[in-house]
Amino acid sequence: MSTVRASVRWIRADLRARRGQALLAVLSVAGIVTALITSATLLEDGTNPWRALFAQTRGAHVWIHTRDAPDVTALSRLPGVEQVAGPYRTAPVTLALGGKKSPVALRGTAAEPPRVAAPLVREGRWLRPDDTGGVVVERSFAEALGLRVGGPFTVTALNGATHPLIVVGLAESADQGFYPEWTPGLAWTLPATLTRIEPAPGRSESVTGLRLADGEETLPAVHGAVTLLDEQIQRMSTWREVRASMELDNRLLGLLLALFGAAGLVAAALAIANATGGRVLTQTRDIATLKSLGYTRGQVFAVLVAEHGALGLLGIALGLVCGRLVTTLALDGLPILPLSPAPLLAITGGTAAVVLAAVALPAWRGGRTPPIPAAQVAPPRGRLSRLARLALLLRLPPALVLGTRDAFTRRTPALLTIVGLAVPMMMITIGLGCWATLDDFLRHPERVGQAAALTVHPGRLTAEDAARIARADPDVLAVHPGSEVSALEPEQTRSVLARALGTSAEPYPFAVVEGRMFAARGEAVAGQGLLDLLGAGIGDRVRMTVGGTPLIVHIVGRVVEPDHDGEVLSLGMDSLAAKDAVPPQFHALVLKQGADPAAVRARLLAASGEALEVRRTVNPAERLAVIRVVIVALTVVLALLGLANLLTASALGLRDHALDLAVLKAMGLTPRQVAATLVTGTGLPVVLGVVAGTAAGASAVAGLIDLQGRTSGVGAGIGRTPSAAALAAAAGIAIGAALLVALIPARRAARAQVPVTAR
Amino acid sequence: MRPFLLALLAKEPAHGYELKQALEQIFGSAYPSPNIGQIYVTLGRLEKDGLVRAVDVEQPNRPNKKVYHLTAAGREALDAWADEPTEGPRVRDEFFMKLVLAPMTGISDRMTLINRQRRHYLALMRDLNELAGRTDPADRVALLLIEGAMLHLQADLDWLDRCQEDLS
Amino acid sequence: MSRSEPDRAGGAARKGRVVRGAGGEREAAPDPVVSTVNLVKIYQNGGVPVPAVRGVDLRVEPGEFVAIMGPSGSGKSTLVHMLGGLDVRTSGEIWLDGRRADTLGESAWALLRRQKIGFVFQFFNLVANMTVADNVELPALLAGASPRVARERREHLLGALGLTDRAGAAPAQLAGGEQQRVALARALANRPSLLLADEPTGNLDSRNTRDVLRLLGEVHRDGQTIILVTHDARVASLADRVVSLLDGQIVDDGAVGAARRRPRGTAGDVVELRG
Repeated sequence: MSTVRASVRWIRADLRARRGQALLAVLSVAGIVTALITSATLLEDGTNPWRALFAQTRGAHVWIHTRDAPDVTALSRLPGVEQVAGPYRTAPVTLALGGKKSPVALRGTAAEPPRVAAPLVREGRWLRPDDTGGVVVERSFAEALGLRVGGPFTVTALNGATHPLIVVGLAESADQGFYPEWTPGLAWTLPATLTRIEPAPGRSESVTGLRLADGEETLPAVHGAVTLLDEQIQRMSTWREVRASMELDNRLLGLLLALFGAAGLVAAALAIANATGGRVLTQTRDIATLKSLGYTRGQVFAVLVAEHGALGLLGIALGLVCGRLVTTLALDGLPILPLSPAPLLAITGGTAAVVLAAVALPAWRGGRTPPIPAAQVAPPRGRLSRLARLALLLRLPPALVLGTRDAFTRRTPALLTIVGLAVPMMMITIGLGCWATLDDFLRHPERVGQAAALTVHPGRLTAEDAARIARADPDVLAVHPGSEVSALEPEQTRSVLARALGTSAEPYPFAVVEGRMFAARGEAVAGQGLLDLLGAGIGDRVRMTVGGTPLIVHIVGRVVEPDHDGEVLSLGMDSLAAKDAVPPQFHALVLKQGADPAAVRARLLAASGEALEVRRTVNPAERLAVIRVVIVALTVVLALLGLANLLTASALGLRDHALDLAVLKAMGLTPRQVAATLVTGTGLPVVLGVVAGTAAGASAVAGLIDLQGRTSGVGAGIGRTPSAAALAAAAGIAIGAALLVALIPARRAARAQVPVTAR
Repeated sequence: MRPFLLALLAKEPAHGYELKQALEQIFGSAYPSPNIGQIYVTLGRLEKDGLVRAVDVEQPNRPNKKVYHLTAAGREALDAWADEPTEGPRVRDEFFMKLVLAPMTGISDRMTLINRQRRHYLALMRDLNELAGRTDPADRVALLLIEGAMLHLQADLDWLDRCQEDLS
Repeated sequence: MSRSEPDRAGGAARKGRVVRGAGGEREAAPDPVVSTVNLVKIYQNGGVPVPAVRGVDLRVEPGEFVAIMGPSGSGKSTLVHMLGGLDVRTSGEIWLDGRRADTLGESAWALLRRQKIGFVFQFFNLVANMTVADNVELPALLAGASPRVARERREHLLGALGLTDRAGAAPAQLAGGEQQRVALARALANRPSLLLADEPTGNLDSRNTRDVLRLLGEVHRDGQTIILVTHDARVASLADRVVSLLDGQIVDDGAVGAARRRPRGTAGDVVELRG
């Protein structure tokens, strides 16, 4: 096109004249894209590690734990079975590390990696034939315990013998879920080493994996295996459970980020639309001149879209680079793969579409500018708005009255400014709500079902001794006996955790948010995840097999359940069969207000002579600590968007009222009053936007987090609204900063000599 | 021309030819070059009115020449001329008479009159423009004079517009 | 040579018509640069129709310099805006270089403007963000000239208008007269067949007015067709022909002749001495 050269000149000149604004536009888009990519990467990583791992390791769909090695040939003939992994001999051992004991499943594997379900070495190396003391540790387990390649891995076998091993590599596997959601931790060693550590075949089990032709069709293989092996089977798991356990970690985070990203996109679109619209308004004269020179409506549209769209696309490119950098550098603690092409393309294309749509509307308006440049584009004026009349009635200072009138002379831009500030403010408020929720998690763990800060396992002592020692500690408020057994749901295909804690008479302080606490034998409370899984509601009676004993469970309430996707049944110890309940597996310790769990733990260990095993409860908020960084970063991005909107509004206000200024000065307003008029004109929409955004965010945040909690299985009832003080502070800071930003050009304009002429 | 000569003589006494030269030098092309005879006729009248006094000066090999001096009465007349406000241009206009009277008598159409007058004024303006273009830019007096004439013409044209608007 | 008669409206625009003008009615002439037939513009002001131009027949031959005069509100600006396609006519015909233009769409008008029409406005309307050089090169680039050709033409124009040393300046750094000269250079950049000027000196003092007028006179002598709207008789008297508008109608249209008294060369000839 012949107009390209002319257009390029025009765009270049225009960009040069408003570098700051252009930079802000680029940064806004870049910030949003970075946020989107980061959240998408986290989201994908939260949902996808299983898929990637399973594909990379050629994982097995079904794992069968049997007492002795099964008949591999018979298993491979089962319907749908393609290949068989193992059987591997696996022995339970205990890893002692810094006073903490962790159960480990030590699996004997050959030095040559298997063809099916081969662990994926991420650090160090795989086992070698001469690695008699070497062990490869599953990575999530190693990370949880702080194990490193070359570090010691001292295990105690069931016979009490201790064997010093060395970590030679860290590997990932789709055989089981991540630690600590999935215990025991997994480690691989050579069969010879395993035999040395655990010579007795009766104290080990055999693990066999089945790779199926069609992963969706697990039932025939499962039924076949149950029929074939029957009594031999101790435990079975399918890829669905593995995937579910891997999914838990970042889903909440990812969804929150996605929410923020989407809203940020809306805010960015508004900011760009406002900036472009404002620029087009201030350029009306130049655009008319272009048309008089022979630009067509379409060409003006194209030039505007090209200029403002290019800024957006530049922002997208910058955002892509930043997003990649952030995900690889800032989140380097997490094993994150770069975003796969599909979502990357979706984000890029989606943002580009949003940017172009946001630019197209004002550009189209610009294209319709009449080509007579002499025509002055005066803002609609004259009538005082209702608000201004009210201000007049209240005998407010003249600057306020005039500013109030100015604020709404152009209705659409005023409205856009309000919305453009309200959306970021709403998101910031929601971010504050997330922050408050996390704080609440940490400060009041009992409200999220974590009343007990410590759990005590008897270890080498008896349960009575453990309880006695725990009760003796001055900071311990209550000791609740507890046991965890697996419960099979009615269809018997999926096992869930049944947690018995406290008794019906002396119940553990569960965080019951619906219904009531269990108060009698056979009554239980459940997490949202379990209710969803069973399709049951409060008041239903469900037949379950709890610890091997059939039991009709009366679900009387719902608790906030942060563990295991909420698929946990909680009941009293008296509801368990005696074999599971006596002695209790552990005691949950509720500490007094303000007590330090670490100090109590140290005292208990000392009092028991290191015989007790004391664990701290992992607060889900600790896993979500990264979200705080994200909230801060997003707040910055959103503030940037707000700033972009503000500058646009300020520039437009100045342009519209530049002529009035001279008149105002002639009427006898001091420069300070003139500046106050301008600041009021810009500030009023800002105040309205900020207040509206804060109100909307505050009313939405609890509901949003609860919705999120419900979908993630934790259950509604965790959302917290930020405190009134925090809200007031946020709104105050936003308004204050906005007014300060508006003050600078206003003061300059008030001092400048403005001639009382056209143009 | 009388006040001009009085003003020149107020500066210093001079004879007729010197006065002609001074006038040419001051006004340049702005005014038509004065006729020497006209100057002597005017001087003679001024002398008769007692405003100037002629003194014969003898010249070797030549006839005597008359050097003119300003008298006290001449000085007074000059002061009176300078102090008196000058009459504005054309308050009663002949064209206006035509415009008012012509339609009554059926001599001519008003529009035709106005249009013809406008073209005439524009032609005058064009002459002035050409003249201004030919005039030496350093000749401030002449250019000011031309500009004054142009502004008068512009006013006349604006007034024609007003006539046309109100009488049509 | 008084008002145009309505009866010749229909054929006025046709190709190869006999030209009526100062020279008589004999010789066949090329197409007029502009010709309008019963051109009407009616604005709608809050539902009330306000006629601005009421049936104008105008014919401008190549090389003519036409001044359009009239009191404010007589529709003279609206008329030139319509001739340049900046405003849409309500009814009537507009012919440019023998082609009918009033039926063109907005885009086609824009293309036509690019090639055939240069505009000069009262408030200069230079693109504020672009340098003087870029402002002048813009139309040439728009019309598809290569950057080199555009630059050469700009250098030539600015040189001719005495603005070579201001090429790199921003318009705001220039005095009003200089800005208008730049605007003139920009309007002439594409060698338009028609230069439309809307009160080009309306915002200038008399010195700058004289400069701009001198330039207009020069480009006219080089054969440029000019239609100029003005209320300033000094400007109008430069034109070959003055069209007087009143209430949207042509009330007078004719050549500016010589004054009855032939000038003899000095200011004294046009200024009467009293005394």
